[in-house]
Amino acid sequence: MRFNLGFFLREAAKNMRLNALMSVTAVTTTAVCVLVLGVGLLVSAHVEGILRGVGKDVAITAFFPEDAPGAEIDAARRQVEGYPEVQEVVFVSEGEALNRVKDMLSEQPEVMEGLDPGIMQASMEIRLADPGTSDAVAERLRAEGFSDENLNYPQQTISQLNQVTGYVIWALRAATVLFLVASVLLISNAIRISIFARRKEIEVMKLVGASDGFVRTPFVLEGLAQGLLGATIAALVVVWGNAMFVEWAGNALPFVPVSSSAVNTLLVLIVLIAVGVLIGIIGSFLSVRRFLRV
Amino acid sequence: MINFNNVTKVYGKDSIALDHVDLAINPGEFVFLVGASGSGKSTMVRLILKELEPSAGSITVNGVRLSSIPHRSVPRHRRAIGCVFQDFKLLPNKTAAENVAYAMEVTGQKRRAIRVKVPQILDLVGLGEQAEKYPDQLSGGEQQRVSIARAFVGQPPILIADEPTGNLDPDTSVGIMQLLHRINRIGTTVLVATHDKEMVDVMRKRVVALKGGRVVRDMVRGGYANEV
Ligand SMILES: Nc1ncnc2c1ncn2[C@@H]1O[C@H](COP(=O)(O)OP(=O)(O)OP(=O)(O)O)[C@@H](O)[C@H]1O
Ligand SMILES: [Mg+2]
Repeated sequence: MRFNLGFFLREAAKNMRLNALMSVTAVTTTAVCVLVLGVGLLVSAHVEGILRGVGKDVAITAFFPEDAPGAEIDAARRQVEGYPEVQEVVFVSEGEALNRVKDMLSEQPEVMEGLDPGIMQASMEIRLADPGTSDAVAERLRAEGFSDENLNYPQQTISQLNQVTGYVIWALRAATVLFLVASVLLISNAIRISIFARRKEIEVMKLVGASDGFVRTPFVLEGLAQGLLGATIAALVVVWGNAMFVEWAGNALPFVPVSSSAVNTLLVLIVLIAVGVLIGIIGSFLSVRRFLRV
Repeated sequence: MINFNNVTKVYGKDSIALDHVDLAINPGEFVFLVGASGSGKSTMVRLILKELEPSAGSITVNGVRLSSIPHRSVPRHRRAIGCVFQDFKLLPNKTAAENVAYAMEVTGQKRRAIRVKVPQILDLVGLGEQAEKYPDQLSGGEQQRVSIARAFVGQPPILIADEPTGNLDPDTSVGIMQLLHRINRIGTTVLVATHDKEMVDVMRKRVVALKGGRVVRDMVRGGYANEV
């Protein structure tokens, strides 16, 4: 049999117009669910982003002995850069260290007058891919010959932060999954109610010789359109809200590392719309199926 | 063409609608199915459409045992049977013309063919003027005629009409019966379940009478009542 897309589209459009109230219910339900889901995604993305931002600031600082020759320093740097746990090594020379102090004390330049750069120690700031590995890295540095007083790392802070981060991220993921399940149930229920109201029609269609697919297709297209519409509205609101939040946080909370890069806007849009469309299609498919047994 | 072999249909636990029915209808025959209300006529129609399964016995249509037809092939079986339902079964969200067109759309016919055929059929049942009305804007008799038009628009080899003249005035009834007669003459097997005594008596066709779910009479050129 020919697949008559034009016919199916006309049928779906007409059904939505005739059952406008049901369509509005399904679209609204989808929009609300996707909105909640989207907010959940955003919150977890930003919390993860902030926690990672904080974690990133935690680094191990290893000071070189004052008399260390340049060649030895270079060798140590290259060695440390080779550690698998290490993300980045920034060398801070004596001069740079002095400049930093000068910057910090720029209000009172007289303090710095006549200061000899020799009093500063050269160091390297080691950023870790995963803050949890700081103990292991410190151990290696000790083996390299760095004494305890030449190593500076907030070990306690790191491991605690790491644990909290893990809990928070898992809690957020679990909440997102729960939202998703609730959305599936709510949206497919809205669709089921609208199809239940038309079960007699489905029966008649079957009795005059329509195949399951022929009856089902307009309903599925209807579910698709409703899911698409509701999810698109919600996804746009979510993305717009995210932009507003990032801008607001940048001004109001300058010390919290909220970054627009924590959220992949395009990905969020695609995921949210895909969720709405999929639930619309699957929900209508399953709901119609129950009435096709005629 | 249609064979009932010792068919029994029990609704629920103990409501016996058909009781050991044997019936053979040959291709091209015109058969009246008569009997009091509740005698089982509509049940036979629903069994032929495979809307229901018999409790015992077997039914064959066109040589095919209905119990052997898988779910996905049921639509093809139904498209070979045009059916006028006792309660019309029109789609409420479609106009008269769209209801008739739907029976052609399910078989995948071209739009152009549908646009030509539907008005012809509606004219034939005297509804040319009402084509764009919805079922709830039509009288009972008009809805019945839409149902008749839908049943034979696809020119199926079998036409079943469950009480096709129940809501019609005598003149329109005669028109519908003449139409059924003409459809039968071009080779269609026609089965008409009816209470319309006058019609049955005038047409002198084969009459099968049901009583309490049993076939109590089967006459080649019968009347409605129990006469010779
Ligand atoms: N869905 C059902 N559930 C239970 N009993 C039913 C059902 N449908 C029909 N019956 C019973 O089966 C018997 C036959 O019903 P059927 O509809 O076949 O009668 P009929 O001959 O078509 O009557 P009418 O002339 O009034 O249309 C009746 O006694 C009826 O009460
Ligand atoms: Mg009946």
